[in-house]
This record gives sequence, structure tokens and C-alpha cells, in this order.
Amino acid sequence: MDTFPATLLALAITAPIIVGLILLAGRDLPRSFASGFAFGGFAIPAVLGPWLLILWSNPSTTGQQFQSEGFWGFGFALNGLSAPLLAMTSLVGLAAGIKALTQEVEGRNTYLGLILFMLGGTLGVFGTNHLVGFYFFHEFALIPTFILTLFWGGEGRRPAAMQMAIYLTAGAMASLAGILIAIDVSGVDIGGATFVKVADGLQNAQQLPAATGALVLFGLGTLASLFPFHSWAAPGYSAAPTPVSMLHAGALKKFGLYGIILLGLSSLDITGGSLGTWFLWFAVANVLLIGLICLAQRDLKQLLSWSSVAHMGPIFLGIWVCGVSGKADGLDAAAFLMVAHGLSCAALFLLANAVRARAGTYRLDELGGLATRTPVLAALFIAATMASIGLPGFGNFWGEVGIFLALRAQPLWLQALVASTVVISAAYALRAVASTFFGPASEALEKRFASAPFGDLGWAERFAAFILLGASLTIGFVPSLITKSVNPVAAGVTTYSQHNAKAPAKAAPAAPAKR
Amino acid sequence: MPSDLSSLVHWILFLPLGAAALSALFLRRAGGLAAWLSTATAFIIAGLSLKLLTAGTADVTWHVELAKFGGISLGFGYLIDANARLMLFVVSFVAAWIHLFSVGYMKEDAARGRFFAGLSIFMFSILGIVVADNLLMTFIFWELVGFSSYMLIAHYFDKDYAAAASKKAFIVNRVGDLGFILGIAMCLSLYGTLDFTALKDHAAGAKAIPVAVGALLMCGFLGKSAQFPLHVWLTDAMAGPTPVSALIHAATMVAAGVYFMARVSFLLAPEVLHFIAISGASMAALAGLCALAQTDIKKSLAYSTLAHLGIMGCAIGLGHPELALMHMAMHAFFKATLFLGAGSVIHGCHHEQDMLKMGGLLKKMPLTAATFIAATLSNCAVPFLAGWYSKDAIIEAAFHGGHLAIFAFLSLAALATCLYSGRMIRLVFLGEANSEEAAHAHESPWTMTLPLVVLGLVYSVAGGFLAHAIIPAGSLQPIGKALGEIAFHLDAPSTIVGLISLAVGFFGALKFYGTVRGADALQVISPRVYHVLEHRWMDGLYRWYVDAVQRRLAEFIAFLDLLLINGVAVRWIGAGVPAVLGYLTGRSFHRGQTRAYALWIVLGSLFLAWFLIAR
Repeated sequence: MDTFPATLLALAITAPIIVGLILLAGRDLPRSFASGFAFGGFAIPAVLGPWLLILWSNPSTTGQQFQSEGFWGFGFALNGLSAPLLAMTSLVGLAAGIKALTQEVEGRNTYLGLILFMLGGTLGVFGTNHLVGFYFFHEFALIPTFILTLFWGGEGRRPAAMQMAIYLTAGAMASLAGILIAIDVSGVDIGGATFVKVADGLQNAQQLPAATGALVLFGLGTLASLFPFHSWAAPGYSAAPTPVSMLHAGALKKFGLYGIILLGLSSLDITGGSLGTWFLWFAVANVLLIGLICLAQRDLKQLLSWSSVAHMGPIFLGIWVCGVSGKADGLDAAAFLMVAHGLSCAALFLLANAVRARAGTYRLDELGGLATRTPVLAALFIAATMASIGLPGFGNFWGEVGIFLALRAQPLWLQALVASTVVISAAYALRAVASTFFGPASEALEKRFASAPFGDLGWAERFAAFILLGASLTIGFVPSLITKSVNPVAAGVTTYSQHNAKAPAKAAPAAPAKR
Repeated sequence: MPSDLSSLVHWILFLPLGAAALSALFLRRAGGLAAWLSTATAFIIAGLSLKLLTAGTADVTWHVELAKFGGISLGFGYLIDANARLMLFVVSFVAAWIHLFSVGYMKEDAARGRFFAGLSIFMFSILGIVVADNLLMTFIFWELVGFSSYMLIAHYFDKDYAAAASKKAFIVNRVGDLGFILGIAMCLSLYGTLDFTALKDHAAGAKAIPVAVGALLMCGFLGKSAQFPLHVWLTDAMAGPTPVSALIHAATMVAAGVYFMARVSFLLAPEVLHFIAISGASMAALAGLCALAQTDIKKSLAYSTLAHLGIMGCAIGLGHPELALMHMAMHAFFKATLFLGAGSVIHGCHHEQDMLKMGGLLKKMPLTAATFIAATLSNCAVPFLAGWYSKDAIIEAAFHGGHLAIFAFLSLAALATCLYSGRMIRLVFLGEANSEEAAHAHESPWTMTLPLVVLGLVYSVAGGFLAHAIIPAGSLQPIGKALGEIAFHLDAPSTIVGLISLAVGFFGALKFYGTVRGADALQVISPRVYHVLEHRWMDGLYRWYVDAVQRRLAEFIAFLDLLLINGVAVRWIGAGVPAVLGYLTGRSFHRGQTRAYALWIVLGSLFLAWFLIAR
């Protein structure tokens, strides 16, 4: 295969890490110099990510289904599922970077450097086909996340960072145990344990410890805020500085889902037996219970954080239904929503911070009537809100609707429970819009405007929001940009998962939960 | 066949999207330019639609696959049959004149750019529903219509009532959409396709269509066409500027539901049809009476719209979708005229909307008054006017079908229509001015009166007379067929009902409402009846649900989450384990989280090393 894309991929992942190292080493670098450097670190992947996706979707470059051997000897590789996620991450990274560059913080170079580390690690997660590399890059991205939240976070950052550290470490440990058992059983040497080889090995493996699937599902599920392992997420995102929330909730969190799909769904029969039943109910709880919790929120950033947990519900259900039905449509839609949610969620965190910068608060009862003073901010915020609640034209729509359609063979009450998200999410999201932007200006806001007049959204933040919303609109209008890349992988994973579910020698005999 | 016609549809569909994008991105501060851009687009679309209408009768089809999810094809395409041609023309023609009206009406508005961008995006959405060739595409544009309506109702967003009304409209519509998407999923599950043509073949081949399919698809119609119990958003939606009420909440958006039901009528089981018929007829009667107890001219018209939507729904339920479409078309013309007339009155009276404060406007605004009265007569189904053809045909169909209860409800609705129409004319145009504003009213500029004249006089009145003549018969199969079924007989039950209603209702109301000045005669005589008809209880019921049930449930679950999952799990287990470890290592975890984290990493690495060596 051509080595050119492999070089691009390696460059996209290493550029932010190298720039991050420079900034960490040169804490006293002059400001403009550091800014330029950091911008380069954010921008290079943002150019390369979408480029790689286009190269990948091009029939002449692809042709291999599940496997993605050796773009480079180093272990970097793309597959049809990770290519769109990598592209999404790179765009979220650029937007987060622009936001970070406009912020005034203490220890600016360290701050920027750590965010670049986080970005590089997240890109690495999706840019490798090796299971240990995949795990390594996730930890590599998480450490700066904790440090950034702890030192640069907002209100309640210490307990939030602590809680997040415990949860994510526990989740990571559980999933690591599952991953290692899976590698062991598959008989693949750990040095060569790529997703494909492990999956192939597991196809022929004699027996798998019953808990492996649960370890991977709930371990990685914790990282992706699966109910009831979600408690870290909302406080964690809320307390983190905005660029970190954007990268974490938008991109890094998809690590868990990605692993669940490529390892759990393909080889560990996570949707069969009682584990599958638990999976289903937890995912429904993500949609319904967390959705209701969103309705009870009184704080804009808390609401966004919770809703980002709630939006994982449909994705989990898409994965679940793929395993149960043996059809790839649920997985295709789930992958689409993973990408689209990253974009809309990051845009919302970005714009909510712009609200706070002006109004001085995230509390919904103190906000109000902001649209008169900041029409552009209001328009972009409404657009991002509409994207997140699945308005057609934005990418999220295809994902959500695709998942509803994929559930078509399930009982009607289950479909109704899942689809109720269209009402619940509209209710809380529009309430937030109305109480932030509509109505007469609140007293608190008027006072603040009198003492510290503020203007509309600045150009840098506008640009960042345009990148995210523009990308979401692009995949909304041309969904084949994503599906062309994902379809073969989804079909491959589905075949693997069906083979595994039906294999007679399995420890947990598979009776797909037909409820 | 003709590829040139499908390219015509491309233009019709995407021109307004382009205009909206241009206005939103570049013309935010150049409101005048945006207004004329949007209006010109609307007229071009109307011309193109007319061309399509006259260009032949063969179905125009075009289809492209956007993407695939597994075996599901996400398709985008056109199916222009006779119904679609008619609907395209009605929507685009009415909309074009409403655009022109808006140019005058919104002249003073600072946010004109946003307003006209909203109108254009609305055009894009509604035209998409009309041309769609599959259920998924219908759903896409269905949602977009909901969004454009949200934006336009929220035009005066700094007012609390507009903020609340826009939110309400969107959420109530989404409740209907929830059923709609489930219905789409069910179609896909049963028939393996979402394409209208293919679905029709399946339905023709199947023994019976499951009730659930029609019932779920109907939910979308209940929301969009404001049918009971999802009708509550429509009257509040009057918070938007008046041209929006005319365009969306009278002529087109609410008609989308009717159009859609007609399009998928082959998927509706008899039980579903029966429900639609009963609920439509009863809502028609109830809403017509409620219109009597509104003092806001737009709200009164909104209830009138509800009544007509009920009649259209009833026609679908009776198994006459073509009659429903015909009434939709006629209603679009005269109701648009009524709303625009109301807009002209409001504009002339310096933004006074209370009918009790108007009066005597016949002399001050003669052109507005003439067109308003003409449209009112059409609304009352005076023989040979537009409304008569369609409404009486439906009442007649109910009678001949042997549905006497429905016939009774529809007759009551006809009477109510005449009552509130007479009341409106009496309060607004006759008598003496009841306020300073009405006394100093002035006629509106030409951009506002010209659309009134065109829509009102030409179409509500002359259009009625010439209904078969002006439009080529071939492309108007639905109307032609409907007209064939009814003829004016003095002894036809619908004619008798109509004439009696007219005599008793219309003229009675004219007289009755002249008895009290500056107040509502019914309210003076019987405050209790008036209060019931004001129709606040349904809103009260929903408010009770949201405040007392939904919010409390949400807060309770949030509390449980905090207590059980976050509290017990994290503080006991989550904090317990590190505390034990901290005790063992002699360090408190609470002193440095990063260090704690590093410890975990070390432990993990040890575990990894152990695993690798042990194996």
C-alpha cells in the first residue's frame, strides 16, 4: 500500500504531541511565539484528519474490510470506523485549540501544551490498530485531562477531578483486564495484538471466561458514561475548562464506544445472554432516566454535561441492536451519531462558555434575553442546540433516526421508550435556549451590562463554531462521507459478532435477547 | 420520463434554501435587500409551479440514494403526482403573495433579514414535504417545517409570550413526530421499504393493513395539523408576526398534515379513518364555538383554522382524501386573505389586536374591508364561492355515507362558522370606532392591499366560480373528481344546512353583536358560557402535567441518582477503596489527586507486567 497516507497519519498524531512537548519545555517562550506554535499543533491534524477520511473513503485506497494492517510499521493505522472519528477529533481539537488560545490563563504555555497532549492522545486512540497502543493512547490523553481539570478547572474542580480519576481509572482497569484476557484467549502474541488478529483468534478460540464481555462492556462503558457508571461525567465536564470539556465529551469519550464495538461487539458476545439484557436496560436508562435528570437541571453547563451523557443512550442502543438483530444498520447509525455528537457537543460547550463570559453565570434563572445583545451568539447556539436534538440538515439527525429505524424489529414499547428522546431532548434543550436568550433581559444581565459592557461573539470563537457546525452540516447533507467509510467495517463487525454468538463452544450460549 | 421537469423541481426546492442561506449569512443588516430577494424567489417558485402544473399530467419522479445504513437506503427523491402539483401551486402561489404583503408589513422591523430568511427556509421545508417520494424524506422536511415555524413564532423573542409559544409549538409537534417516526420504522419493518410507490404496491397486495401503522403515522398529522389533542400550539402560535400566521398557521404548514394523510391514505386502516373522522368533526364544532369567545382577532381566526382543519381531517376519515385536498386549497386562499386582512387591520390600527376596541373600519379601510368580507363569505360557504364547493361537498359526503353523528357535528360547525364570521365583521368593520387607534385607522400601502385583492377577490370569489375552468382539468384530477360528486340542489341536506346557518348564524350574529358596545354581547349575557368557550382548560391540563408530574418526576429521579448512584456508589465504594489503599500506603488521597492517579497507573502497570510474565 502507498505509504503516503501512513505518513500523513503519523504526522497528524505526532504533530500536536511534539508541539506540546516544546511548549511544556519552553514555559517562558514568548507569547506570540507560543501562540503560533500551538496553533500549528492544532491546525495540522485538522487539515490532515478530513483529508485522511477522504483518502480512506476513496475506493482505490480501501478495499480491506475489518483489517487495516500496516499503514506504517510503527503501529499507526486507520480503519473505516476510526477514520471518521479521527477526522472529527481533529476538527474538535482545532476548535478547542482556538478557544484555548483566546483564554487568559496562568501558565499559558503549560496549559496549551497539555491540551495538545490531550489532542494527540485522542488522535492516537483512533490512529492505531493495536490493542495495547489503543489503551496506551487513551491513558496518555486522560492524564492531561485530570491535570487540566484540577488546576485550570472551574467551580468544584477538586472533587470532580477526584471522582473522575477514580471512575475512569477503575473503568480503565476493568477494561484492561478484559482486553488482556481476550488477547490471551485469542492466542495472539501481545506484540502483534491488533483488533483484527484478536478478533480472528477469538473466532476459533475454544472458551472465553464468562466475565470477559462484562469487563470490557462495563469497563469501557464507564469511560463512555454508560448508566449507572455515569456519575463522574456531568461534574467532570462541568468543572473542566472549556477546551477540555470539548475534547473530552466530544472526542475522547468515544474511545469507550470504539473499543466496545471493535472488541466487545465483534468478539465477546456482549449482546447475548443476561449480559445483553443488562446492556439493553442500562442503555435505555441512559436515554430515559438521564434525559429526565436533564430536565431537572438549573445550570446551563450542567445541563449540557448531562445531556451529553443522555445522548450516549441511542449510541449504545445502536450497538446493542446490531448484535441482537445481526444487521449492520444499527452500528452504521451509531457510528454516525458518534461523529456527529462530537461536533455538536463541542460546539455547545464552546458557545455556553461564551455565554458565561458575558453574563458571568451559567445559572438559567439568572440568564435571559441575551439574544438582543448578542444575536450571532444566539443564532449559533440555537443552531448547535438544533444539531444536538437531531434537526435534519445536521449530522445527528441521521444517527438518531438510523438508530430508531434499526430498532424496528424490537417490540413497540421499547422503540417508543427510545424514541421518546426526541421529545425529552427538545424539552430541555429549548428550555435552555429560551431561558438564556429569549424573553426580556434579566435584571442580573442588565446590571452586568451596565457595569461591564460586552459585545457579540468574537471572530476567533465564531470561526471555531463555524468549523464544528459546518462539519456537522456537511455530513448532514452528504451522509455518504461517513457511511462509505463505516459501512464495510460495520458489516464486518456484524459478521464476526454473529459468528461468535452462534459458536457452540462458547462459555455463554447465545440466545440473543429477543424481548 | 422528463428529466427537464425534475430539474424544474430542483429549482423549486432549492431556490428558497439558497435565498435563506444568503440572507442569513450576508444580509442580516440589509433587511430591505433580503426582503426583496426572498419575495422575488417566492414569485419565481410560483411561476415554476404553475409551469409544472400546466406541463402535463404524467408523474415526475427522480431519486438518488444519499447513503446506506446496513440494508436501509436513505433516499432523496421526488414524486410529483396530481396531488403534488396542486399542492405545489397552492403553497407557492399563496406564499408569494404573503411574501409581498410582508414587505409592507415588516417595513419597520429591525430584524427583517432574519424574518425573510425564516420565510424562505420555511418555503424550502414545506415544498420538500410536497415533493418527497419516501417517508424518510417526508420526515426530514416535516422536522424542518417544525423548526422554521419555531424560528418565525419566536420572531419577537424578547417577549415572554413569544418565547413560550415557540417552544410550545416545537415540543408539541415533536410529540406527534415521535409517533410518526415509530410509524415509519413499522413500515420499514413490515414492507422493507419507505418509498411511497413501493408501499402502495405492498398495501394493494396485502390483505389488511395493521391498524398500528396508520395510527402511528397519524400522530404526525395530529401534531402538524393541530388536531385534538395536539391542537394547543396553534392558537399560541399567533405570537408570531401576522404574515407568519397567514402563511404557516392558515395556508400551508397545517395543510401539510392533510396532504400527507392523503398521500398515505392507502396505509390507513378503517379504524384509523373512523377515529380521524369523529375527532375531526367534533373538533370542527368545538373550535368553531371557541372562536366566539376570543377577543384577539388573530386568535379568533386561529380557532377558525382549527375548525377547518377538523373538517379536512373528517373528509380524510370519511374516505375522501381528494375532498380534503380540495378544501385545503380553497381554505388556503380565503384563510390567507382573512389573516392578511387581519394583519392589515392590525397595521392600520397601530398594532391593536383586540376586536372589541375596533369598529367602523369599513369606511377607513375600504379595500381591506371588501376583501375581508368577501373571504368571510367564502368561509361561511355562501353558494358558488370557493369555500362552498369544498365544505359542502364534505358535509354532503358525511350525509350520503350515512354518518349522521358526523353530519350533525359538521352542521354545528357550519353554524358556528357563520356565527363567528358575523361577529367578526360586526365588531371590526361595522358600528362606531371603539378606541383612539381605530378612530385614526388608515388604509395600508399597496404592497399589503395588492395581495389582499389578488388572493381575496380573485381566488376566494372568482376562483370559486371558475374552479374548473381556470386550471387545466387534467392536472386537477382530485378537484375534478370532487366537483363531479356535488351539484347545487336546493333540497340537498348540505345546502339546506348551509343556507339555514347563513341566515340564522351570520345575520343573527350581525344583529346580536350590535346590541352591546365595547364589550362582547355573549359575555354580558352569559359569562359562564363565554368562559367555557374561551378554552383555557386544555392548556391548564398540559401545564399541570408539565409542572406537577413531569418536573417532579425529573427532580425525583435526579435526587435518586444523586443519593443512590452517586452517593452510595461513589462515596461508599468509590471513596472506600481509595481510603483503604490510602490507609495502607500511609497517604491520604485527598492531598494530591495527581499523585493518587499516578499510584493507580503504577498498580496497573504492575498488573500488566504480572500478567505478561505469568502467561
